[in-house]
Amino acid sequence: MFKNEEMEINMGPQHPSTHGVLRLKLRLDGEVVKHCRPVIGYLHRGVEKICENKTFFQGQVWTDRMDYTSAVANNLGWAEAVEKLFGITVPRRAQYIRTMLNEYNRLASHLIWLATHALDIGAMTVFLYTFREREAILDMFEAFCGARLTTTAFRIGGLREDLPPGFEKMARTFQARFLDCIDEYETLLTENRIWKKRTIGVGMLKAEDAIAMGVTGPVLRAAGVPYDIRKAFPYAAYAEMDFEVPTRPEADTYARYLVRLAEMRQSHRIIDQCLGGLPEGPVMAKLPKILRAEVNEVYHPTECPKGELGYYLVGEKGSTNPYRFHVRAPGFINLQALPMMIEGSLVADVIATIGTLDVVLGEIDR
Amino acid sequence: MATDDVPNEAGPYVYDIKAAPNRQVEMPKTVPLPSLKIYLAEQAAAVVAEEAKWQKSLADFETAKAKAEAEGKPAPKPPVRPVPKPDTNDMKFPAPAPATDPDLLHLQEVLGPKVEEIFQQAGELTCQVKKESILEALALVRDDAALGYEMLADETATHYPAAQGFAFSVVYHLTSIRRSKRLRLRILIPEGFEPETAVPLYPTANWLEREIWDMLGIRFQHHPDMTRILCPEDWEGHALRKEYPTLGLGQRDIDFREDRSGVLMRIAMEKAGNMGINLNPPRAE
Repeated sequence: MFKNEEMEINMGPQHPSTHGVLRLKLRLDGEVVKHCRPVIGYLHRGVEKICENKTFFQGQVWTDRMDYTSAVANNLGWAEAVEKLFGITVPRRAQYIRTMLNEYNRLASHLIWLATHALDIGAMTVFLYTFREREAILDMFEAFCGARLTTTAFRIGGLREDLPPGFEKMARTFQARFLDCIDEYETLLTENRIWKKRTIGVGMLKAEDAIAMGVTGPVLRAAGVPYDIRKAFPYAAYAEMDFEVPTRPEADTYARYLVRLAEMRQSHRIIDQCLGGLPEGPVMAKLPKILRAEVNEVYHPTECPKGELGYYLVGEKGSTNPYRFHVRAPGFINLQALPMMIEGSLVADVIATIGTLDVVLGEIDR
Repeated sequence: MATDDVPNEAGPYVYDIKAAPNRQVEMPKTVPLPSLKIYLAEQAAAVVAEEAKWQKSLADFETAKAKAEAEGKPAPKPPVRPVPKPDTNDMKFPAPAPATDPDLLHLQEVLGPKVEEIFQQAGELTCQVKKESILEALALVRDDAALGYEMLADETATHYPAAQGFAFSVVYHLTSIRRSKRLRLRILIPEGFEPETAVPLYPTANWLEREIWDMLGIRFQHHPDMTRILCPEDWEGHALRKEYPTLGLGQRDIDFREDRSGVLMRIAMEKAGNMGINLNPPRAE
C-alpha cells in the first residue's frame, strides 16, 4: 500500500551532529523537509540569574561556560562590558594581549567548527588535522592563564599577569607554520568533489533575509554583507589593526566555509601585528578593591567567532552585582534562521546546515 | 543500609521551604533606571543636602563658640569645608548627558510628544517612548531614510519591583549596518500590560520576545507563537523576576519508593541538610 502522508520525526535531542542537545521537530514528505521547529532549552542553567547574584568579578567565570569553544571571546565581552559600565580605561599593552588571545580563540573556534562540520558531512580526516593546531592554541592558553577551556582569561581593568616567559616563542612557532596548515585543510576540502556537492547551494540564506532575522557573523558575511563589529564598532585594539573583512556573494554553505577559512588567515595577520607591535607598560588599570556600580546601562557588542555577542548590563548604585544581565547570544539568533534555511531541502542537508551555522547549545540555552 | 530515622514506607515528602536560607529573596529597594532626568534631580538633591550639612556645622560652631566664651574656655576650632579627594583611579563614571546626536534629535522632532526622554550615556543613545507608540517608533527607525536601523540586535526587559507607576522596562537595541550606528529604544510598562509585538517589523524579535515571556512574564500582543522557549511549557513562575528565588522552585521530586536500600534517601537528606532544607516527612500527630 503506497502512503503519501507527511511524517513527523524528532531529530535530537541526542543526535551526534547537533552539537549539543538540540531537538528539531521535522515534518517530512519523503526525504524533503516541509516544516521545522527547533526546540531548545535542554542546557538552560539560568546563567543570567546566577550572574545577577554574583559580583562583577565572579560573573566572568560563568561566561566561560556559555560558549565553551570560545571562552576567551566571551570573557573579553564581559570584561569590556563591565569596563564600559564603570568607565574604566584599560592600558594599551593589556588591550593588545587581549586582542591577540581573542584572535587565537577565533582560530580555535573555527578549527573545531571545521573539524565537526566536515565530520558531520563525512570527511573524517580533517578532524585529525585541525585538532593538531587547536592543541597548540590550547597549550598557549594554558601557559597564559592555566586553563585550556574555561579560561577566565582577563580581569576587570586589564590582565592579572603579563605574558609568561616563553609565550612569545610558542606564538612565533605557531605563526610560522599555521598558514601552511590552512593550505593543508584546503587541499582536503576546497576542490573535493564530494564536499562541493554536499555544500554548494545548500542552506541558502540571502542577505535581506539574514538581516531581517538578525543573523550575524560569518553567515551574514557569506551573504555579501561586510558587517564585522571589529571594523564597524572597534573595541580592544582592533582600531589599530590592519585587516580585511572577507565576504562572498553566494550565501550558501560552501561560501561560509570559504569565508571562515579567509577569516582564519586574517586572524593570523592580526596576531602577527599584535606580536610585532606589543607596547610596553602596565597590564592592569588602577582600580579600587571593590567595584561599586552607579546607575547605568550598557549594551556591549563584540565579534565572537559565531557572530555578534552582546552583553547588556544594568548597574545599581552602590551594588557590587549587576542589577540585570542579559546575553545576546549569536547562536540563539542564528539558530532562529534555521527553519528558513532548510525548509524545502533534503534531510541530509539539515545536518550540513546545522554544521555551517556553528551552533553551540551552551550559549543558546545559557 | 536503612537507618532508623529514614522511613521505609512511601509517602509524600514535604519540603520545608521556609527553612532554606537561599529561598529568602531580598527584594531590591532602589529603582536603578538610567535616566538623565532622575540623574539631574539626584545631583541637585545631593548639592542641597551638602549645603544644609555645611550650614548646620557652621551653626553648631557658633553655638559652641558662644558657650565656650561664656564659660571662659578657649574657643573651638572653626569647621573646614571638606574638599572631595582627588580620584587617582583609572575610572570615570560615564554620567548621562543631554542628547546631541542628530538621530535622537530627529526622533524627537518626528515623534513629538510620544518621546518621553532622550539622552546619551557611555556613548550609547537612548530614546524612551510612550508604551503605546513603540511600534510606530520601531517602524520609523527602520524605514526613515535618515535613520535606517535595519537590524534588531537585541530585545530584553528588566524588572523594577520597587518602582512607582511601572514594573518593567523593555529595551530594543537596534543596529544600522549601513551607517555603523546603534540606538536603544525603551518603554516602561506596568504589570500586566501587553506591548505590541515587533515581529512584523523585525522577525528576529520572535524568539527574543518568547524569551522575555519565559523569563519575565511579559506577553506580547499579536505575537505569532507566544510560548515558552528555554523552560518547559508547564514551568511555574518566571525566573528573571526579582521575587524568584535562586533555589527551590522546580526542584524535582525523587521517587524514593524505588530506593529499597535507602542509600539515595540518605544522600539526599545529607545534601538537603547542608543546604538548610528539611526533607523529613511531617510527624504523625
